[in-house]
Amino acid sequence: MNSDRFALSVDDYLAAETNVLLYLNDAVTQLLEHKEEYTQFGVVRYFAEYFNSVKNGNHVIFREFNYVKATQHNRASFIRIFWRCFRQIGKNGDLLAAMEYSSLLQLLCPDFPTEMVQNAARTVLFDDAVDSLMSFSDFLYSFQIQLFFEEYLESVLVIYQDLLSGKNPNTVIVPTSSSVEQLNSIAEDESEAHEAVDSAVFAECIEALCERFKHSHPSPAAVREILDNTQRISYYGFLLALAKSEIISQDIGALPNKSELLVDPEMDQELERLIAQISVSPTSNSSGSATGLKELPKKASPRKSLHHRKRIEMESDGSTEETDSSEN
Amino acid sequence: MADKRRSGVSTGMSDSKPTTKAETDEDFLSQAGVGVLLRGALLKLVEARSEDPIGFLAEHFSNLASETENSPVGGGDGEHHSNVLEQQQLSRALWHIGLAHHSQRSAFNSNTRVAYDLLMQNGSRRHGAGGVKGRVYTELLRGLCSEGGLSVTASAPLLQRIRCHDHEAVPFELFRQGVLTCAVFTDYIRKSQCLYAAVSSCPERAADRALCQAVLGTLQEALETTSAWTDVARYLEASVKISPCKLAQAMAEAQGPDGGGMGPTMDAQEFEDSAAKLFLARVRIVS
Repeated sequence: MNSDRFALSVDDYLAAETNVLLYLNDAVTQLLEHKEEYTQFGVVRYFAEYFNSVKNGNHVIFREFNYVKATQHNRASFIRIFWRCFRQIGKNGDLLAAMEYSSLLQLLCPDFPTEMVQNAARTVLFDDAVDSLMSFSDFLYSFQIQLFFEEYLESVLVIYQDLLSGKNPNTVIVPTSSSVEQLNSIAEDESEAHEAVDSAVFAECIEALCERFKHSHPSPAAVREILDNTQRISYYGFLLALAKSEIISQDIGALPNKSELLVDPEMDQELERLIAQISVSPTSNSSGSATGLKELPKKASPRKSLHHRKRIEMESDGSTEETDSSEN
Repeated sequence: MADKRRSGVSTGMSDSKPTTKAETDEDFLSQAGVGVLLRGALLKLVEARSEDPIGFLAEHFSNLASETENSPVGGGDGEHHSNVLEQQQLSRALWHIGLAHHSQRSAFNSNTRVAYDLLMQNGSRRHGAGGVKGRVYTELLRGLCSEGGLSVTASAPLLQRIRCHDHEAVPFELFRQGVLTCAVFTDYIRKSQCLYAAVSSCPERAADRALCQAVLGTLQEALETTSAWTDVARYLEASVKISPCKLAQAMAEAQGPDGGGMGPTMDAQEFEDSAAKLFLARVRIVS
């Protein structure tokens, strides 16, 4: 939004881009679903927490898929959360299959559709051997395109199919969900997988699409750059190029450059600290809290029972040793 | 959404039916005051026209929450608490003012009014009437300058001119002028830094002194435009004087035929200071 917002009517301002009403609606719905839990600190505090989490992008975690894809901000937030949660996988260099990435995504969003994961996998693996393993970063950038530009990719697929079958591209219609399903099944046809269309014509059609497209789409300049570099291109080839485009990734703003994707000194430090704590903690923690608890009545009790105090101290020492030995 | 809100508010008037489960959703919303709360938030949002509505609502609800959470403690430890309260109100006032750029003048003025009323609340509780306390006003201006990225030394001369005495009561018009002056000044300094960067052409080397002086001279001429006619005519005349071609002409003259490059230089700080001086000379001293 820019300074034009001062010229808009109230309704237009509220409806413009940011979906204020959608979030308010969701906040109230959530409040009603979890009355007791959310009102213990007051309704005002609840709304403050809700909008702060929307601002920070933590609001989509553990939410249903419909909410995750409801706004572009939600989508970007989800991509970011997925990256932050499972970055260590990439760091370890582990390769995972599409189903495993799907499971990871479902940890964050229980009803996350597997189709989207499979589409991302097809992009990385060039539509063959969809069960093969992928690196975290390859999958992540491809997945980002799938989630962020879902509607755009559906329309592009329709264009692509039309071009393949030799139809006049100028009569392209934005697809209904049923037609997309149909086309998806066609796309899975192996015979068509390795075919390609003329890049220049494809580019023209996509540009025409973007002019009247009401959903989010990658910047025309970036798409132009991709298609100018080839003569013929396949659908998944195009998707892969989108996934690899740094300009597009920057525009989405959810992920850093590929070179910085796995760099996170803060997280590393935190992890090291946690690991160090875990390896020491069971004994030191329990003994620490135990003595802490026992010191409280010791201070409260009057001085007279010196005997008693000594006994407690001995007890606490004993108990510490006990846990120590049991742990070892 | 609108329906939900309206019904949430209206149920306050209808009698609550005894249901088996403690309450219906509408009763719950009206009892918790959600309708009123959200309507108030939306009104504030529409009034401010924030560029980032989600951030605005987050801030708005957080402010409200900390207000209600703090108020019962209020009676407890007097002086310390009122200091904390004042700090909170100052930062909220700063936030309101920052919502719209000063070039969006009507929004800026209305946000400034909100900030003024906010700061008044604190003052009027202690004193009878008058306006925002001079000390709070000066403190706000200082905050505004540092938020705009000015160093203490850069903002000190300006504050010296437009500050008020601690005990004075500041009326709104003066308050608005002061806030506006600070906002424009921080912008002006930022622009002058850009100007220096443009003149020096290469970031490692200091800019040519003669060139800088030519630029500053042009700037001064534009700022000192006094026209017998209306304000509009004066603005036009000033903007012609600072237009790129005039500036280029002045710089070309300063550089001379030999191309320069070997002469004395001027560093960024000196340039900024001189530019600031030109601005400050135009600011009237308040007290």
